[in-house]
Amino acid sequence: MDRLLKETAERVFADHVTRAAWDDAESGIFPAALWAVVEKTGLHKVGGADSGTGWDDLFGLLTVAGRHAVPLPLAEMLLAGTVVADANAAGFTTIAAGGLAPWPTAARQVLSIEGQVSSEFGCAPASNLAGEPFAWVELLNPRPVAVPRELPTLLAVSRVALMAGALERVLEMCIAHATEREQFGRPIAKFQAVQHGLAVLAGEVAAAGSARDGCVAACGTPRFVDEAAAAKARVGEAAGIGAELAHQVHGAMGFTHEHDLHRFTRRLWAWRDEHGHETVWQTRLGRRVAAGGADRVWDFIVGA
Amino acid sequence: MRFDSVALPPEAEALRGQVREFLAAEWPDGYWPNSDFGEGHDPAFSRKLGARGWIGMTWPKEHGGGARTFFERYVVTEELLAAGAPVAAHWIADRQSGPLLLKFGSRAQRRRFLPGIARGECYFSIGMSEPNTGSDLASVRTRAERVDGGWLVNGAKIWTTDAHRNHFIIALVRTGPRSANRHAGLSQLIVDLKAEGVAVRPIRNLAGGEDFNEVAFQDCFVPDANLVGEPGGGWTQVTSELGYERSGPERFLSAFRVFVEFVRAAGPSPDDGAAALIGRLASQLMTLRRMSISVAGMLQQGQSPVVESALVKSLGNDFEKMLPELVRLSPLCRAGREGEPLPFAVERDPMSAWLAPLERCLRQTVLYAPSFTLRGGTREILRGVIARGLGLR
Ligand SMILES: Cc1cc2nc3c(=O)[nH]c(=O)nc-3n(C[C@H](O)[C@H](O)[C@H](O)COP(=O)(O)OP(=O)(O)OC[C@H]3O[C@@H](n4cnc5c(N)ncnc54)[C@H](O)[C@@H]3O)c2cc1C
Repeated sequence: MDRLLKETAERVFADHVTRAAWDDAESGIFPAALWAVVEKTGLHKVGGADSGTGWDDLFGLLTVAGRHAVPLPLAEMLLAGTVVADANAAGFTTIAAGGLAPWPTAARQVLSIEGQVSSEFGCAPASNLAGEPFAWVELLNPRPVAVPRELPTLLAVSRVALMAGALERVLEMCIAHATEREQFGRPIAKFQAVQHGLAVLAGEVAAAGSARDGCVAACGTPRFVDEAAAAKARVGEAAGIGAELAHQVHGAMGFTHEHDLHRFTRRLWAWRDEHGHETVWQTRLGRRVAAGGADRVWDFIVGA
Repeated sequence: MRFDSVALPPEAEALRGQVREFLAAEWPDGYWPNSDFGEGHDPAFSRKLGARGWIGMTWPKEHGGGARTFFERYVVTEELLAAGAPVAAHWIADRQSGPLLLKFGSRAQRRRFLPGIARGECYFSIGMSEPNTGSDLASVRTRAERVDGGWLVNGAKIWTTDAHRNHFIIALVRTGPRSANRHAGLSQLIVDLKAEGVAVRPIRNLAGGEDFNEVAFQDCFVPDANLVGEPGGGWTQVTSELGYERSGPERFLSAFRVFVEFVRAAGPSPDDGAAALIGRLASQLMTLRRMSISVAGMLQQGQSPVVESALVKSLGNDFEKMLPELVRLSPLCRAGREGEPLPFAVERDPMSAWLAPLERCLRQTVLYAPSFTLRGGTREILRGVIARGLGLR
């Protein structure tokens, strides 16, 4: 990922992803101030045609967004930008998969993964586990657009990138909490059981980052579907294990609305389900491995 | 802690096909593939690998090495393990004894031992554990006393893999008095396992195998020339071995043949349950492999990635243990199905020929699985290393 882009994104999100933005989003109020900064800095154009950026930057930006639990449908915006020209000019485009889209209420237009786009649509409200507004949409007077066959897979990979970022942040929060919180006269980080929980968490976070890198590096190659399937399956597992351990370390404080941990863990729980949970992708991947036969299992693993 | 995204360079990938051709031509008659690096002590096979230049690959040419990259070594080792080739004889010497001598050994030691190791003729055992020393390695009691021209060794090592088959052991011994600094006063000695004063007694494991041993030293004379590095430098040296010991593909491939046989049993169009299990295992394996290659990249850059290696080993060992446990519950596995006898309980030989391949390697793996999270540093110790890396201790 481009260094400057990464620094810009880190700075923008660190400064503008506030509790107010999260709370607004959960009550269905689009965080307009945050969106305005994203627009001003051009982050919403990353990965789009003529932007001079590629998949590595697009998914890199989503990883940073995951680190900050950005309450915008950034994944859908960016991916729409790779499909439809000017998707995010004067408003943004969201994507409906299986009829369900994040934030259509605030969007200028909706793109469906079946290849239709429209700025007129009916909405029936829904939400995900993180409380982010979704809606069932029905496109009125849609026009057809050519969408790449792998758009559903790209959406799954967007969740991989978001989860990898959120997991990094969760690990940092856990380390900070464990070294500050004292019980029995010492920081809980000094207890071996706590250390081991965090060591397991660190392993899952590192595995998630590695799996993310694997499918991002494979973008545009024939290996992409398999790496993406492996990553969504593996990172989904990491999200569940990671969130569980993080809450254990944080105690009751982490179970409150007040504490920020849930901004990340609820998103992890949502993202691991969205666009295919572990079993869905495991099954697909497993079928591909099995089709090659037992004597080619290793070839499959190494991508030979 | 950072696992950079690393792609294997073309010269490393090029070796993959060569190793496969070699294996097709040189597979020992009747040898049943097993991906555990400790399985299959076959000097003839090791010598053939040595002749191909696939032992000591990263060492300088003057010592019989191949002056190749860690990536090239990575590909050769993963191909051998995935195929289930018998690699135990040279494995330890290639992986850690050789690199240890290269880093800390004298010129004479490098000349004496490295070419033989690289030819696949000279095999080493690890002499760390003792009856009263396991995870707490600094507590070793085997002592070496200074005598004219060398050292007199007394004490015992235990769990020494293949000491009854190998030529030398590198023993961690106490050469200085115990002091407040627990890590001081330790040294490493190369001991000839056939020397006078060395008694090797195999210990049968729960799977019926005889791989590890007790090695007792009684007034065993070791010449000065066999001291590795400086007297008192043992702790630094022994911990430096761990980066090599812990991050390789052998830390997640021990149970790999079970996976292969499961895919065979599932056939080309498995049901959803079997497909999901295959996919889950593949997703874990692909990720572990990326992480291990990333560590190979750190070794290539001359770093010593102690924490990253511990993390790969820990995750990898958990995977090796999880794999047979998940496979055995699949309806595709015969043993344990309703109405089927459980031959396990009455069968002494886990490798009984009458079993279908899947059950056969599954049994073997279930029996060996307890060792996966013990050998080379226990799960708990590795988690401690990771916690230290996180700044928690
Ligand atoms: C198949 C096999 C081959 C081996 N080959 C060799 C060899 O070739 N050479 C050699 O030197 N050794 C070898 N070993 C020994 C191996 O290195 C030791 O088993 C290992 O270091 C653990 O020591 P231990 O078995 O004495 O267990 P212990 O150290 O007694 O540990 C027992 C249990 O207590 C836990 N424990 C110990 N200390 C702590 C702590 N501080 N915090 C939390 N938990 C703790 C351990 O994790 C473990 O669960 C081999 C072992 C096996 C199983």
